Amino acid sequence: MHPETIVDFCRFLRENGFHLGVLDTLKAIEITRALRYQDVSAVQHGFRAALCTSKEEWDAFDALFESFLMGTPKPKPQLRDTAQPAAAFALINGMRGFSGRELGREDTKTVAGASLYERLSKGDLSDINRDDQAALERIAQKLFNRSVSRLSRRLKMAGRRSMLDLRRTIHAGIGRGGEFIELHYRCRKPNKPALVILLDVSGSMNPYSMLLLRFAHALQKQFRRTYTFAFSTRLIDITAALRPRDIADALKRVSEAVVNWSGGTKIGESLEGFNALYAKKLLSRDTLFLILSDGWDTGEPARLACELRTVREKVRKLVWMNPLLGREGYQPTTRAMAAALPYLDVFAPAHSIASLAQLEEHLCSMNS
Amino acid sequence: MAKNPDQVTDLDAIVQGFHASGYVLDRALATSIYLLIRLGKPLLIEGHAGVGKTEVAKVLAALLNTELIRLQCYEGLDISAAVYEWNYQKQLLAIKLHDGTEGSSDERVRHIFGPEFLLERPLLRSISQSNPPVLLVDEVDRADEAFEAFLLELLSDFQISIPEMGSVKAVSRPYVVLTSNRTRELGDALKRRCLYHWIDYPTREKELEIVRTRLPFAEKELSEKAVGVVQKVRNMKLAKPPGIAETLDFVHALETLQTAHIDTAAVEQTLGCISKSAEDIAAIKNAGIENLLCS
Repeated sequence: MHPETIVDFCRFLRENGFHLGVLDTLKAIEITRALRYQDVSAVQHGFRAALCTSKEEWDAFDALFESFLMGTPKPKPQLRDTAQPAAAFALINGMRGFSGRELGREDTKTVAGASLYERLSKGDLSDINRDDQAALERIAQKLFNRSVSRLSRRLKMAGRRSMLDLRRTIHAGIGRGGEFIELHYRCRKPNKPALVILLDVSGSMNPYSMLLLRFAHALQKQFRRTYTFAFSTRLIDITAALRPRDIADALKRVSEAVVNWSGGTKIGESLEGFNALYAKKLLSRDTLFLILSDGWDTGEPARLACELRTVREKVRKLVWMNPLLGREGYQPTTRAMAAALPYLDVFAPAHSIASLAQLEEHLCSMNS
Repeated sequence: MAKNPDQVTDLDAIVQGFHASGYVLDRALATSIYLLIRLGKPLLIEGHAGVGKTEVAKVLAALLNTELIRLQCYEGLDISAAVYEWNYQKQLLAIKLHDGTEGSSDERVRHIFGPEFLLERPLLRSISQSNPPVLLVDEVDRADEAFEAFLLELLSDFQISIPEMGSVKAVSRPYVVLTSNRTRELGDALKRRCLYHWIDYPTREKELEIVRTRLPFAEKELSEKAVGVVQKVRNMKLAKPPGIAETLDFVHALETLQTAHIDTAAVEQTLGCISKSAEDIAAIKNAGIENLLCS
């Protein structure tokens, strides 16, 4: 293959959502040289190995290769909805009419993406129109993944406070001429924190539910011990449904599992169900408990307060994130919210992607 | 079947070499391996559990007649377990022995930070062999990002810096194979550096060929039926779909039980080979074993 053809091919892939730089083009040229004496399919396989970096790209590659050889001018972006930031930026660029030109990777990120990125990540989720939805979801996925993986690292570090066990340290030092080579600690290696998420999927939460589900999915991917529940009038365990790595797959399973989407809200009763069935198994001093709800409750506030107190006694931290809190002039005066406030460690907004990404701060803010 | 890397001149040599070791591979994977040998680029292999990712490195080492150095990644893997560690006991001992003897302190420091006090871990070992080994970095997605960054540095410069000794340059470049189960998205920079290969579950025909190669004694009809069952189970969206090892176990078990023909009871008895979790086994039984058997 002629180098110029390869350059064209790489540009073609880039237009179709591949994240390629100049180095990749060089890699492809190098590969044609190494495969000089092999057949055409070997070149195709070699290009695929060199230019793909994920299963999604891998799956899309063969069709793109063929349509390039056939000379099809410009197929639409093919990559499926993934966590690939590359795809998100390609999409944003496409929306701004940047698609055809060859841009350095850094440029695409900062120049074209910035303002839309800003608008989408800071704006209230309920205000975002349908056109922006796809881009928003990709940005969300990326931010979530980043914030969540940082969070899991921070929590791991935070758990590392332990006391020296002098007796065992000295004892271990005897065999080494009194030098303390191995330090023994008093407590066992601390467990990683568990995370329990209660997600409100009642009618009033409609604009937010889908994104919050993505958020929960990102969290669950990162924390091995995450348990996610959805509730409106009753509680449903969606941990298993959220388990597939692929977000589209997971969301589909959740929608099958949750039968009472957009129903009324009975937070107190749902929590009671949780306390009765799962609390013993899931709650402990290393559990972080996260409620994502707007606090519009049709149940009895006293009941909610009572159940929240039970939870509070058992967990390390109780966090309530409320999408309404991001609105100007919102006061948590609904009866349920007012009843819940005394038991919360953190009460925080959840109206935008940026505010959700703050979860890290909330969970690490207090040493408890 | 062992070969010198220079003798690997075309894809067929690789396909045949792997076949001889009992590994059935298609031309696409052969191309990736060919490029790994020719261009010396690391190969990142992703795929579901049990499709033979790790095996690629093992067979490659056998094919090239070289050592396989394996680094199993896990959460919290650090430099001292992956690259090098000083032999502290020996160092202390040396200090005590040399107490009171002549010699400047400079010399002594240089002595106790010499090569004889260095414990080589897989990564350092892999670049200090005269005959380039195959370095397998297994399940790299399990290690944390800090380690990934370090690995990236190693893969681009092929040198390791040890503060007390200076940097150690590679005597020879190892053939690097990385595997990942996609439990975490790997960093872009690391992926850029590598060739990428996705190994999917084998097709029916390929899986039959694998069974034939690995279990030559198995009856043809039995293997065909068993592979059919496994292929169907894979489509069932279980928590842990069966890999190739499970297929082989399954065929082997059926063969051992000497079932004249494979029926519902026989499958039920050996279901534990295909699936190792109670939930999945229940799901398979719910779906009806007789449905799996009909073709």
